[in-house]
Amino acid sequence: MPDKIPNRTILVAEDDPISRRILEKKLKSWGYETILANDGRGAWEALQRPDVRLALLDWMMPEADGPEICRRIREGKKTNYTYILLLTARDQPQDIIVGLQAGADDYMIKPVNFLELKARLQTGQRIIDLEDKLLQTQAQLTELATKDGLTKLWNRTSIMKCLDEELIRARRTGSSLGLIMLDLDFFKKINDERGHQTGDKVLIRIAEILTKGVRPYDKIGRYGGDEMMIVLPDCDLGSVCLIAERLRRACAAEQIRANGKAIKVTISAGCASFDHLVRPTGDRMIQASDKALYRSKAAGRNRVSSFPVQKTRARRRTT
Amino acid sequence: MTADSGIPMSKAEALDRVDGDETFLQELLNMYAAEHAEKTGAMENAIRAADFRAIRDLGHSLKGSSANLSLPRLQDAAFDMETAGLEKDLEGALKALNRLGHEYRRLKDFLGTP
Repeated sequence: MPDKIPNRTILVAEDDPISRRILEKKLKSWGYETILANDGRGAWEALQRPDVRLALLDWMMPEADGPEICRRIREGKKTNYTYILLLTARDQPQDIIVGLQAGADDYMIKPVNFLELKARLQTGQRIIDLEDKLLQTQAQLTELATKDGLTKLWNRTSIMKCLDEELIRARRTGSSLGLIMLDLDFFKKINDERGHQTGDKVLIRIAEILTKGVRPYDKIGRYGGDEMMIVLPDCDLGSVCLIAERLRRACAAEQIRANGKAIKVTISAGCASFDHLVRPTGDRMIQASDKALYRSKAAGRNRVSSFPVQKTRARRRTT
Repeated sequence: MTADSGIPMSKAEALDRVDGDETFLQELLNMYAAEHAEKTGAMENAIRAADFRAIRDLGHSLKGSSANLSLPRLQDAAFDMETAGLEKDLEGALKALNRLGHEYRRLKDFLGTP
């Protein structure tokens, strides 16, 4: 059937059981999933469901009337738009203006002409579909603006913003904050000898290993090239070093397969933490972890260092 | 809508609203019977308590049910009840209540239901 409506959930809030039953039957025959409410409270509860995007609200209902529900919905913080069609009595045309001002999208006079109702609901669906497409595009743009296209880690701008936000939180709550700067050992050589596509595969795989190896609330970003930065909330220097060492081992243990060949890749890491720095700022934390990373490189790579130097259980590879 | 016609129900119009489904129309008429009994009982109580808001709301609600089933005379009587509630007119409400009873009996005769 060319005008068959795709499955949608629609709320019918109507205190008159006969109107409710007729609407329910009609809407179901048009392919809608119906949710029924016989008063304003039931309507409000149903409207909290994210799948309820279309609503037929009777003007007069016990508990809360249609316009009151409209006002609450428009003032609320529901992520997606709800298209509301108010049903009003023929002899109360003044309701229409009040209803539309309260936030209704459309109105119909009862008893409802069903052909008209069907067409008007299709208009509502078009608006919802447009909003969905818009939100989808917005999400894609946000992803493009905040994530690194290759590794899907946070991009440099986002990870820096994250570091600044976590610093503010750490200052406010008196908690610690850790930072790891790391890069791949001899990454240029991989690119030069095996090509950039292999280099890209290595970066992607390392990003996966790092993501798997940190806590869910830690943030990993691609700082630039093969340099990555990890922000670790509530982590003192000792813990930062332990996490970095765990990540180093995980990377070293991996045989990354690219173009039919296995590649061994190691990382060097530098650790810093908020509570070991004087007047810590994002820049100072980056400088400190960068110094530690340089120390790891100078000491022969494939190791973890900290600034200031921290004695940890993972001492053998930690300077 | 044929609000001023003498017949209690425009059956063709009501059937048209339910796509000619006689069984469904009967289901709705049964619902209406229960609705009418419940609402007129509540109206009696509201009139006794001079609760004009309840008188108005009950009239409004029964007006909607009646309109849905193309019952113009019952719709009119329910509208009178709603108006009496709005105008705080107890005498008008009593008249409307009597009329609702009378028109419902006429509907039953018209449909040939006991």
